[in-house]
Amino acid sequence: MTATAVSIAGVTPREIVTPRSIDELAAIVRELHDARKAFAFVGGGTALDLGNSPRALDVAVRTSALDAIVDYAPEDQTITVEAGATLADLDRVLARHGQMLPLDVADRERSTIGGVVATNRYGRRRQRYGTAKDLIVGVSIVRPDGVRARGGGKVVKNVAGFDLPKLAVGALGTLGAIATVTFRLYPIPEAARAVVLRFGREAALGAALHEMIVRRLEPESVALYDYRALVVTFAGTQRGTDAQARTLVDEIAPAHGVEAAPLSELERESYEQRERAVRRDGSWRFRVIAPPAEPVATAANAVPATPLAVPVAYPLLGIALHAHSEETLAAPPDAAPDWPVHDLRETVADRTHNRGHVVFDAIPAAARGLVDPWGPTPPSFALMRTLKQNFDPHGLCNPGRFIGGL
Amino acid sequence: MTAIAVSPAFDHFAAIVGAKNVVGSPAELRTYECDGLLGYRVRPELVVLPGTTEEVAACVVLARELGMPVVPRGAGTGLSGGALPSEGCVVIGLARMKKILEVDLANRVARVQPGVINLDITRALQADGWYYAPDPSSQSVCTIGGNVAENSGGAHCLKYGFTVNHVLGLTLVTPDGAVVALGSQAGEPDVLGYDLTGVVVGSEGMTGIVTEVLVRILRSPQRTQTLFATFPSTDEAGDAVSRIIGAGIVPAAIEMCDALAIEAIVAATDVDWPLDVGALLLMDADGVEEEVDEVAARARTHVEAAGALEIRAPKDDAERLLAWKGRKAAFAAMGRISPNYYVQDGVIPRKEIGKVLREIAALGARAGLRVANVFHAGDGNLHPLVLYDGRIPGQEHAAEEVGGEILRVCLRYGGSVTGEHGVGHDKACYLGEQFSPDDLATMQMIRTTFDPERRFNPEKMFPTPRLCGDKPGAYVPHATETAGEAARG
Ligand SMILES: Cc1cc2nc3c(=O)[nH]c(=O)nc-3n(C[C@H](O)[C@H](O)[C@H](O)COP(=O)(O)OP(=O)(O)OC[C@H]3O[C@@H](n4cnc5c(N)ncnc54)[C@H](O)[C@@H]3O)c2cc1C
Repeated sequence: MTATAVSIAGVTPREIVTPRSIDELAAIVRELHDARKAFAFVGGGTALDLGNSPRALDVAVRTSALDAIVDYAPEDQTITVEAGATLADLDRVLARHGQMLPLDVADRERSTIGGVVATNRYGRRRQRYGTAKDLIVGVSIVRPDGVRARGGGKVVKNVAGFDLPKLAVGALGTLGAIATVTFRLYPIPEAARAVVLRFGREAALGAALHEMIVRRLEPESVALYDYRALVVTFAGTQRGTDAQARTLVDEIAPAHGVEAAPLSELERESYEQRERAVRRDGSWRFRVIAPPAEPVATAANAVPATPLAVPVAYPLLGIALHAHSEETLAAPPDAAPDWPVHDLRETVADRTHNRGHVVFDAIPAAARGLVDPWGPTPPSFALMRTLKQNFDPHGLCNPGRFIGGL
Repeated sequence: MTAIAVSPAFDHFAAIVGAKNVVGSPAELRTYECDGLLGYRVRPELVVLPGTTEEVAACVVLARELGMPVVPRGAGTGLSGGALPSEGCVVIGLARMKKILEVDLANRVARVQPGVINLDITRALQADGWYYAPDPSSQSVCTIGGNVAENSGGAHCLKYGFTVNHVLGLTLVTPDGAVVALGSQAGEPDVLGYDLTGVVVGSEGMTGIVTEVLVRILRSPQRTQTLFATFPSTDEAGDAVSRIIGAGIVPAAIEMCDALAIEAIVAATDVDWPLDVGALLLMDADGVEEEVDEVAARARTHVEAAGALEIRAPKDDAERLLAWKGRKAAFAAMGRISPNYYVQDGVIPRKEIGKVLREIAALGARAGLRVANVFHAGDGNLHPLVLYDGRIPGQEHAAEEVGGEILRVCLRYGGSVTGEHGVGHDKACYLGEQFSPDDLATMQMIRTTFDPERRFNPEKMFPTPRLCGDKPGAYVPHATETAGEAARG
C-alpha cells in the first residue's frame, strides 16, 4: 500500500506501508526482518532531513494510523499513547483536564509522539521541564526482529529493570519502532509572564543571567533572539510570576544597565514565531551544544553572519539554533567540499575546549554525503556500536542514519 | 590488615592496590557478606578497595583473567541485595574514592568520585546556596556510586526527579577493563548517540564500575514551607494526596506515615506527633516566596477538604528540620516496635493509595503480622514495613511472603515492584511477573552490550531458576544497623 512519497535524508524507499495496529506493525517488521529488507519508520515527516542518508531503504513504515490514546489517567498525570498520535492530538485531550506534555516542538499538527521521542526534540521550556528523557516513564517497542518489548511502566516512579525508555529517546528509530509511550504530565500553569531584556554587550547578558540564578528566580524558559533580545518567561501562580517579572524588570535589569520591559502575550508569540522559523526554515539548520557558560558567545562568533532566520539560543542550557539559506553557507570556489561545516566545527571545538559540538538538523541536497550531520563520535562509540549490533545484528533498521553510521 | 591471605588471588590484587587495601580474612570479610537486606549473606572471596580509576581498571582486568565475578559496592546500604556478593566473587568497594573533584558553578555541575556520600555534596555547596537534589533517607551514609547504580530517589524527587535526572555524565570502567567517558563531560546539555548514561544509571552494578560522576547542582529555593497534617486514617490522607496532585499543585515532597509508623518515630525521636491519629502527611512546598505561600495555602485547603484532624506549620526552621529528621529516621525507628522488619518498595498509581493500603493491611492480618507504612505518597511509592519476630519460627518467612504479595498487589494496580531500592537479589523473581520473557530478553541485550560474559553482579535483577528457589538465611544484625542513622531506617 503506497501512500504519498517520502524521502528519508535524501533516500526514497521502494515502498511505503501503513500498519493499522501495533500487531500489524510487529508482523510487518518481522516479515521485513525475515526477508532481510531494510526499513525505517516515518511519523509526521517533520524531521526526515535529520541524520545521514540510510545505507539501504526498502520499505518505509508509517506510524500515522497508530494514533490511539491508549490510557489517560488525569488524576495520576500520566498518559499512554500510540506513536503515531500527534502532539496536537495530545494537546487537545490534555487541555480538557488542564494538563500538558511540556515539549514545545513546532508543527504540532504533524509532529508525532514517536518522532518527537526518536529525535529528542525540545523547545525553550526545556529549561524547566527537561526533554522527553525527563518525561517518558514507559515505552513499548517493536524490535528490529519484530519482537515486541516493553520497558518502564505506567507509574511516575519506577526502577525495575534496564531503562529501555531512556534508550528509545533520541535513538532515531535505529533500535526498533516506538509503538507506545507513557509520559508523566504537568498541570498547565495558571499564570504566565514574559519579560524582554535588550542587550548591547555580551558581558551584561552573562551578568544578568548570573544574577537571576543567584537571586533564585525560577524561569520557565530563557531564550536569546539574535544575540540581542533575551526573553524570559515565568509560569506558575499569579503572584509568583508577577513577583519574579518585577524583580527582573525593576531590580536585576537596571543594576546591569539593561533595558527591560514586560511582554504582552502577542509580543511573546511573535518571538515564538521566530523560534519556529529557526527550526523549520533554511536549507542549513544546526545546533551548537556546549557547556552553558560557553555556547552563546561561541555560536555568535563562530557562525557566519546573515542567517536566514533569527538565531535563537538558550543560554542557561547551552544551546544555540541557527538556520541559513543554501547561499549563505555556500562554499567559496576553492573550498573543501565540507566547508563551512568543517570550519564551524573547528571553531566551536576550539572555543569550548572540545566540550562543544554542532549537529546539523538539515543539510541541502547538494551537500548530502559530503557533510557529516553529526560530527565526531563520542568516546563511548564502541559501546553504542555493540548496542546497535545486539538489537539489529543484520543492520536492517534505519541503517547508517545515526551517528558514526549506526 | 591481616597477613593471612586466604584467597590465592590476594597477592595479585595486593600488587595493584596494596595489601592494606585487600580484605581477605574470614573475620573481616563478614562486614561485606550482605548489604542492608539482611536476610541473605554470601562471603566474598576477596574485597578490594582501589583508590583510583586506574586501580579499578587494573582490578577489573585481573578479575577477568582470574575468571572471578565482580560485585561493586558503595556503602552497603542498599535494600535489595544489590551489593550481596556472589560465590567466589571479588567485591570492588569504592569507599576510598570519596573526593569531590570539581565544583563548576558557572556550568552548575560538580564532578565527584563514586564513594562520596550523597549529603557531602550538599554540605560542600550549601554555604554558597547550592545543593544536590536527590535525597534518599539514607543520604548521610549512602554513596553517589550506589545512588547511580540504583537510580535512587528520595522525598523531594517528587518535584525534582530522581538520580537519573541529575547525572549528566559518568566515567565507567567496563567489564573488559576499559575506561570510558559517557555522557556530558563538562555540563553540555546533550551528547551524540544513545543515552548510555541514562542506561548505566539504575543498572545495579551490572554494566561496570562507575568511577566518576558529573552531577547537576541546583540553587537552593528562596523559601520552603512545610505542612504537617493528621488524619483519622490513611484513606483520608490518601484522598488529600490525590486532591493536591489532582489540583495541579506540584509540591516538593509529600510523605505519609500511618499509625504504626508514627508510633515508632515518636518513640525513637524528639518529634511531638500525636499518637491517636490514623495517618499523617508531611509536605514541602518550595520555590519563589510569593508562589510558595500561595501553593501552601491552597494545599492546606485540599488537606482540610479531605478531612484532616489537625494542620500545623512548623514555627521555625528547627521544628521543620526536626519533622524531616523524624521522617528520615523512620526505618531505624521500627526497632522500637518490632524486633525485626522487612522493607518493601513498590509503586502504585497515586490515586489508589487508600485502597492499596487497606489491601496491604489485610494481607498482614491474614499472616498475623503488622505492617507499618512510611512512604513517598506524592509518587505513589509505597514502603510497607512488614514487622516480625525472627525468634519465632516461620515468621521471617511469613514476612517475606507478605512482602511478595504486596508486590503482586502493586502489579495488579498497574504499578511496579520497585520505585527506588532496585530489583537486586531480593526481587529478581518478581521482575518476571512485571515483564514478559521478551521484555527481559531485550533488557539482556542492553546488559550484554556492557558485559557479554555476565560477570558483573551476575545473579541480580534477572530471574533464574536457581535464584527463585533461594530461601533467606537466619537474621543476624549487620553493621549498617548499628551505624547511627543508617540503622535500617
Ligand atoms: C535507612 C535507609 C534508608 C534508605 N532510604 C532510601 C531512600 O529514601 N531512597 C532510596 O532510593 N534508597 C534508600 N535506601 C537504599 C540505599 O541507601 C540506596 O539504594 C543507596 O543508593 C545505596 O547506596 P550505597 O552506597 O549504600 O550502595 P550499595 O548498597 O553498596 O550498592 C548498591 C548497588 O550499587 C552498586 N554499586 C555501588 N557502587 C557502585 C559503583 N561505583 N559503580 C557501579 N555500581 C555500584 C552495587 O553493586 C549495588 O548493586 C535506604 C537505605 C537505608 C539503609
